[in-house]
Amino acid sequence: MMYWVAGGFIYRRVDSFFHRLDARVKLLLTSELVALSLLSFSPPELIVTMGTTFAVASLSHTLRRMGKTLAFSAGFAITIFVIDILVGYSIIDALVYSLRFVAIVGSTSIFFLTTSPDELEHVMRWFRLPRDLIFAYVTAVRFVPVLLLDALQIMDAQKSRGLELERGNIFKRVRNFSPVLIPLVVNAVVRSGELAEAMEVRAYGAVEKPTMLYSPLLRTMDKIAAILSITLFLPTLYYFLFLV
Amino acid sequence: MIEFENVSFKHQNGVTALRNINLKIEKGTLTAIVGENGAGKTTLVRHINGLLKPAEGAVRVFGINTKQQSVAQLSKKVGIAFQNPDNQLFSDTVTNETLFGLKNFGMSEKEQAERLEWALNFFDLARYRDVSPMLLSGGEKKRLCFASVLSWDPDVLILDEPTVGQDYYHKEKITSMIMDLLSKGKTAIIVSHDLEFLWPLQPRTLVMAQGQIIADGAMANVLSDDETIKRANLVRPQLLELAIELHLHPRVLSNVKEAAKLILVRSVGAR
Repeated sequence: MMYWVAGGFIYRRVDSFFHRLDARVKLLLTSELVALSLLSFSPPELIVTMGTTFAVASLSHTLRRMGKTLAFSAGFAITIFVIDILVGYSIIDALVYSLRFVAIVGSTSIFFLTTSPDELEHVMRWFRLPRDLIFAYVTAVRFVPVLLLDALQIMDAQKSRGLELERGNIFKRVRNFSPVLIPLVVNAVVRSGELAEAMEVRAYGAVEKPTMLYSPLLRTMDKIAAILSITLFLPTLYYFLFLV
Repeated sequence: MIEFENVSFKHQNGVTALRNINLKIEKGTLTAIVGENGAGKTTLVRHINGLLKPAEGAVRVFGINTKQQSVAQLSKKVGIAFQNPDNQLFSDTVTNETLFGLKNFGMSEKEQAERLEWALNFFDLARYRDVSPMLLSGGEKKRLCFASVLSWDPDVLILDEPTVGQDYYHKEKITSMIMDLLSKGKTAIIVSHDLEFLWPLQPRTLVMAQGQIIADGAMANVLSDDETIKRANLVRPQLLELAIELHLHPRVLSNVKEAAKLILVRSVGAR
């Protein structure tokens, strides 16, 4: 189940036009989709935004994997809908907020599904973010699949000692997870310590400005995609800001 | 007792891990599963306690199809000690870690106390009973995993890479534990790369490569075959290598002393 859900956020190498784009262009497109989701205030607008998101996902061959995450996020969307209704929002508003959540999850999912941790690092470096921050963030992203595998192995080990994770009421089930969470957290802490040492012994932080082997350059295709997306986005933005 | 019938299994990432496995393991026997990394050894044993269910075919343990039982139900009969102890230790003390399985299986307090004492003493862990498992050394953690599984006395014990991180003394201890279990009629299955450790035990040996069992039989016979060794990327135990070089029957040399005696006799004879 966990793997199924996280599958919507873990990068996998696929040969598609969208995957080949520069990460900065992918970030631009994703940001535009997120902005459209936030600016949409009626169900038809949101459906158009989501349609665009699905079209991009389809182009990048990630629709199936993104769909898994969306199916899971539907549970949260329903919760948002119910809470909104309970606190007095209209059905339309509640529907908009819950659909907006799904649209945002979908568009961010596309970025993470098509951008490798290395590309992510290039983008962050391009924004001139502090190196330690970039390193910490990229390492965290890179370790998501590792932690996921760890969690699955720990669950197997505990189930083999008679632990029944799905047994009992909701509180009991949450408690059942402590034999999984404790080794997972301990492993993560130990691993981070080992990683820090391994980085230090390989001279991490020895110079203030480390040199790079590759510097990402925007190719013609990237520039065309970026210009095209901005050309389509700006009129839409104008529509949302001044015409609605 | 354990039966694999035309079992195939594919991982979520699409990799086929087992291809048409047919296998029978009898009660009270010792079986070793060897092969290179990714050969399907761990996937195979995970089918025995139901952690994985076959995509095709059937796995039966004590005549029961594993698809019809939960992991917890099967685990009472089939104990698995996993390769990485850090993936299972979580309790505040060694005592509580050992008791975890016993409590899950609903054993009485008296039974829990008895089994706890046996397991801690057998694995040299009694002096650490109030210590956090996280503070133990790698080898001690591994022994704690064995203790916490053997404590509920399963009929079948599966050890995944039991000798990793163990010194000579504790490898001997594991050997004696296995012999002890076999003498009680238990069944043991060892997944290991450590052929030197397995050699004195002379188990039935299954050699796996690319999700298939490519050889099955007495260890000496299986590992004497050059083709099997090549296909599974194995390195023969040194005593077996020596026996082959000396043109002896592969099972003649079971320990270094015997080998030395034989070489001495031959060299005296040659003079």
